Formats: sequence, C-alpha cells, structure tokens
Amino acid sequence: MSAKEKVLSVGIDLGTSQSAISTSAGAHHVVDSYVGWPVDMVARKVMKKPVVIGAEALENRTMLDLHRPLEQGLIKEGSEKDLAAVREILSHLIELATEGNRETRTRAVVGVPAETMRVNKQQLRQIMRGMVDSLIIVSEPFAVAYGIEALLHTMIIDVGAGTTDFCVMKGRYPTEEDQRTLTKAGDSVDDLLAKLIDERHPEVQFSIHMVRGWKEQYGFVGEPAKRALVTAPVHGKAQKVDITDAVRAACESLLAPFTETMLDLLAAVEPEYQEKVRQNVMLSGRGSRIHGLAEELEKALVDLGGGKVRLVDDPVFAGANGSLAIALDADEDDWEKVSA
Amino acid sequence: MPGGSSDSLKRRLLAGAVDDNVRAIRNQPRRRLYRRAPFPWLLAAAGAALVAAAALVVVALRSGAPAPAESGAASVATSAPAPEGLPAFVSAPPARVSGRVFPLAVRRIAIDPGHGGGDQGTRTSSGLREKDLTLDLARRLAARLAAAGFEPRLTRDSDQRMLLADRARFANDAGADLFVSIHLNWIEDGRANRGIETFYLGPSDDPEATQLASFENRESGYSLADVRRLLDSIYADLRQEQSRAFALAVQKRLLAAVRAVAPEVRDRGIKSAPFLVLVATDMPAVLAEVACLSNDEEARLLGRDDYRDRIAGALFDGIAAYSRSVAQAEPGSGSDKGVR
Repeated sequence: MSAKEKVLSVGIDLGTSQSAISTSAGAHHVVDSYVGWPVDMVARKVMKKPVVIGAEALENRTMLDLHRPLEQGLIKEGSEKDLAAVREILSHLIELATEGNRETRTRAVVGVPAETMRVNKQQLRQIMRGMVDSLIIVSEPFAVAYGIEALLHTMIIDVGAGTTDFCVMKGRYPTEEDQRTLTKAGDSVDDLLAKLIDERHPEVQFSIHMVRGWKEQYGFVGEPAKRALVTAPVHGKAQKVDITDAVRAACESLLAPFTETMLDLLAAVEPEYQEKVRQNVMLSGRGSRIHGLAEELEKALVDLGGGKVRLVDDPVFAGANGSLAIALDADEDDWEKVSA
Repeated sequence: MPGGSSDSLKRRLLAGAVDDNVRAIRNQPRRRLYRRAPFPWLLAAAGAALVAAAALVVVALRSGAPAPAESGAASVATSAPAPEGLPAFVSAPPARVSGRVFPLAVRRIAIDPGHGGGDQGTRTSSGLREKDLTLDLARRLAARLAAAGFEPRLTRDSDQRMLLADRARFANDAGADLFVSIHLNWIEDGRANRGIETFYLGPSDDPEATQLASFENRESGYSLADVRRLLDSIYADLRQEQSRAFALAVQKRLLAAVRAVAPEVRDRGIKSAPFLVLVATDMPAVLAEVACLSNDEEARLLGRDDYRDRIAGALFDGIAAYSRSVAQAEPGSGSDKGVR
C-alpha cells in the first residue's frame, strides 16, 4: 500500500435484526436488517428507488417484497433473493461508512455468531468481495470482548435476535470448546410472546413487528418494573391490553438455557480461574436489555460461590466497536493475508 | 476493565483470528485445541520412539526391502523412495497430505448394521425387516473378514437400538481403519425399480439423497451445534476423498456380484450425502444401500441365504480392494475410476 492511500477501517456487526457499523473516521450507523424490492411499477414510482433498506423497508413493507435475509445469525440458504439482500445491507453499511468516497481503501472486520459454519463464512467473504479490500471474520462475542478489553478470565453473553453467543475468554483466540451458540434469543422470545398473547387474548390483532416492539419496551424477568399495557386493535378498535404475564413468561424462557450454558462453560474453565470468570460475566446485545436478566443469572451463580453479571455500556454498538478495535490493531502483514 | 489485557495478549488474539481466517480462505481445517499431556516426558519418549521407527522405515525403503508386513488379507505396497539427499518429510509442502504418505495397512473394520431395537428400518409386507437383514449381513461380512485376518468390530451384535452418535463413537474408540454402514433401500416406486447405491460423506445437491440422509439421521443423538461442528471439521478433510475411493470400490463389487444373479439391478452410483454416522466417524466411511427392500423380487432374494452371502462377499471384496489400493495409488484414482 502506498503511503498516500487513505485507509478506512470498519467494524461490522451483521445481525439478524439489526446490523451496525463503526468506522475509524468516527462514524456509527445502525440499520434494521430488512431489504425490500418494490413489488410493481406503482410501488417503484412511490418508493422512487429500486431497493429499500432498513426501517424504511419495514415501514413500507406492504409495497415491497420484504426480506429479512439472516436467520439465526446466518445467511438463509438456498435463496438468491436473500443473498442479494445481505449484499444490499452490507453495501449500504459500507456506503454509509465511506460516504461514497470510493478512493478510500476499506478494511473490514465482521462479527458473526460463534458457531457459524465455515461454509457460511466463505459465503460472506464472497458477498463482500469488491466491497472491501481486506476482510477478517471473527466470532461476535470475541469482537465484543476485544472491544471492552475483557480478554482474560471473562465470559461474554451476547444476546442477539437470532442467536445468543457465549464465549469464555482465556487469553487465546476462542476455540470451539470456549464458545456456544444458542438459538434461544430475541426472535424465539418474540415467537413465544406472540403465541401467548394469541392464546390469552384471541380477540387482539397484532403483527410480529408489534410484538417485537412490545418486548423491547417491556421485556423483563423476575418482578416487573411496570405493567405491560399495550394498545392494539380489537375488532378494528384500539384498546389497552395487559400483556405483563405473557411478557414475563416469554422472556423467562431464556433463563433455563442461558443458565445451563453459562454453568456448562464455567465448568470447563480450569478450576483456579473459575472464580475470576464468575466475577466477570458480561451481557451484551440488544437482548441483554431485558430487565432483570443480569440479576437472574447472578442468582444462578450463587450456588457456585457467587458471581457478577454486568451489562456492556453500548449494547447496540458493542460488537461493531469491538470489530473496529480489531481492525485498528491488525497490522499490514495481517491485512495482506486476508485480502478480499 | 474486567479481566486483564496487554499488548502481547492482544497480539496473540489477533494472530489467532487472522490464522482462523487464513485457514478458512485456504480451506484448511480449524486448529484444534489438544489437552495438555499429563506426562510430558512420556510424550517425549513416545515421540523419540516414533522418529526412530520412521528412520528405520526410511532406511528399509531405500534399501529396497519391503515395509513391515501387516497381518491379514490386505497387502500393502511401499511408497516411492524419497529424492536423494532429502528426507521425504522435510520437502513435504504444507498443502493437502496424500494418503500415500502413510502406507499403513487397513486392519480393523467397523461394521455397522443399520437400525435395531425399536427402530426397524424398512420392512416388507411379508415381514422381512431391515434391522434383521442388516445384522445378518454384518455377521456374514465379519466372519469373512476375520477369516482373512482383518479385525472386524460390529457396532451392534444383537437386536438393540443405538444412536448414530454411539455408533460413530464405537468405531472411533475402537480405532477402526474403515467404517461400513449396511442399509437396505426403500424406493417409493420401488416395485418396478431396484438398484444399489453407496454413500460417502459430503454435501449433497441431490434432493433424494438429502431426504434419505435426513431420514437416517433422525435418531442421531446430536444437537444442531454438534452437527455444525462436525460438518465444519470435515469440510476440507482428506477423509472425504478416501471415503469416495472406498465407496467406489464397494459399489463396483456389489454391483458385479448382484448383477450376476439379477442383471436388471440398476447402478444408482456413489453419492455424497451428509449421513451423520459418516460425518462423525474419524476414518474413511461409507454407507451402502446393498439392496432394495421395496422391490418384490429383491425382497424374495434377500430371504435366501446364498443371496445374502453373495452380498456379504461383495462387501468383503470391496473392503479388500480398497485396502490393497491404499498404498498403491492416490485415493479416488485407479481401476475403479470408471464407476460413477
């Protein structure tokens, strides 16, 4: 690389529900991981663009062939349209990051779920060819750990929409045995919440997008901070509905698998370090904002001698910021090895 | 900061992340973490003994003497001598390792009679059950192998149910050199159709093979995460290539033996498919659908001792042929190339 060439380092958190990017120029962007194509000429005329991304796509979904191309943190298989949608999201993020300045050399680090198969990583690498000059793919919890410098004797629990990733940092790049991926995450809570509301309030009309919003506003485990009173149409007329119990039951469905996985990974830590790891459990991801989650996980640690579960400061950008930190620390030799 | 950090620690983690990416780009398997040896001095002594043994073999090869003969039917050819003045192991490139580097005899064969216990597999209206027939064929094959000096190991020797995970574990723990899973096919329009097919591990584009694999995998005992790990580990595996050569050898002999009695039997070929019992084993492995129970004529023949003996004989011939070819040619090449 010549000395005159401008280099932009970017960190990307490619998420099932939202994707975020942080750049060495100080920019931060987050988009909902939705892509839509106008369904007909009329829709194209109204939208005034061939493809719509993010919240705008969600808002105008009735006019669009809408795709949420990631499922459980992975690119959906077998659909060309979903591959195209992932390409659009990434290209949109890179475009936002470079602000259209194509003369800049772009180096990217992308976080993906911990147990992503190699074939998916290769697919991602292929999609990003031409978008960036070099690419490093890392596990999402590793990126979070790197960003908050929790590199030793720490457990990261990254609660996303499609997956929840667990990773114990032992001072080495995490191996298979240091990590777990659960599909119990934000989406599974949404599905259960929708089912419970439908069972308990069959007269209420709602969509999965409304349910997602209610969970984000009221999600809790243990004791509720406030009643979850939502407004939804009943036979076309807006009414207040109390969904507190349904929200609790749906969110608490995460507790058993989370606890089991946390304890399982802890047991695999060398005995002399288990206490340190127990005191350094970090929750990240948007799902970590479920009220009371950290406290309930701490309760599970009591029998082992106690521990501390804390939340990262910025759950939306923790992954992207961590990826950016990796991108900034990687040297020329590293980047040369991973040219896109 | 939770945990601890330093520049050297970050450097090590970054190097790990880059190495993981480079391996993915080069299609090399992930680095695995091996547990610390309890007695390092013992490992060192074993290593020294291995080096000494390797030196003896090199000397023997250069002097034109045959490699130490293995007992049993498998005859082993020696590898080509190393170029003058250069030990073979020094000049070896870091690329894929050829099977010829390891001119070892095939000796221990894991034979897996499909299904068992409550899992009957397929069955005919006359009461012939796949689980009984596969066990009978496995016992016949084991007897032939033992008589020829091989060491057969049956995953089950009675009518018992076994998870696929346990079958694979059995073969791995037994240190088997080859793995043969015996099954009988059921083709929906099979009254008119009959054919033989042999599977080896790998991805499949064939919906029929995928459907069959998912049917056979239903009692696997593996979690989704296990499956991802297993598939990832075999993605660039030499074992896949060896398994293909093994499948060719078995398919060719089966076809020849059965067509001598029933010329109309179709060659359904060798196919790759993600049967978990193949994925989770550590050695070259095939799953042979040795006959078609949905075909009335085939079912009638399978009721006869001499026909089952013929099939077991063909399986034996396939194993013996593959064993002979191990050190003679690159896996996948040789006289079996003409078979699909």
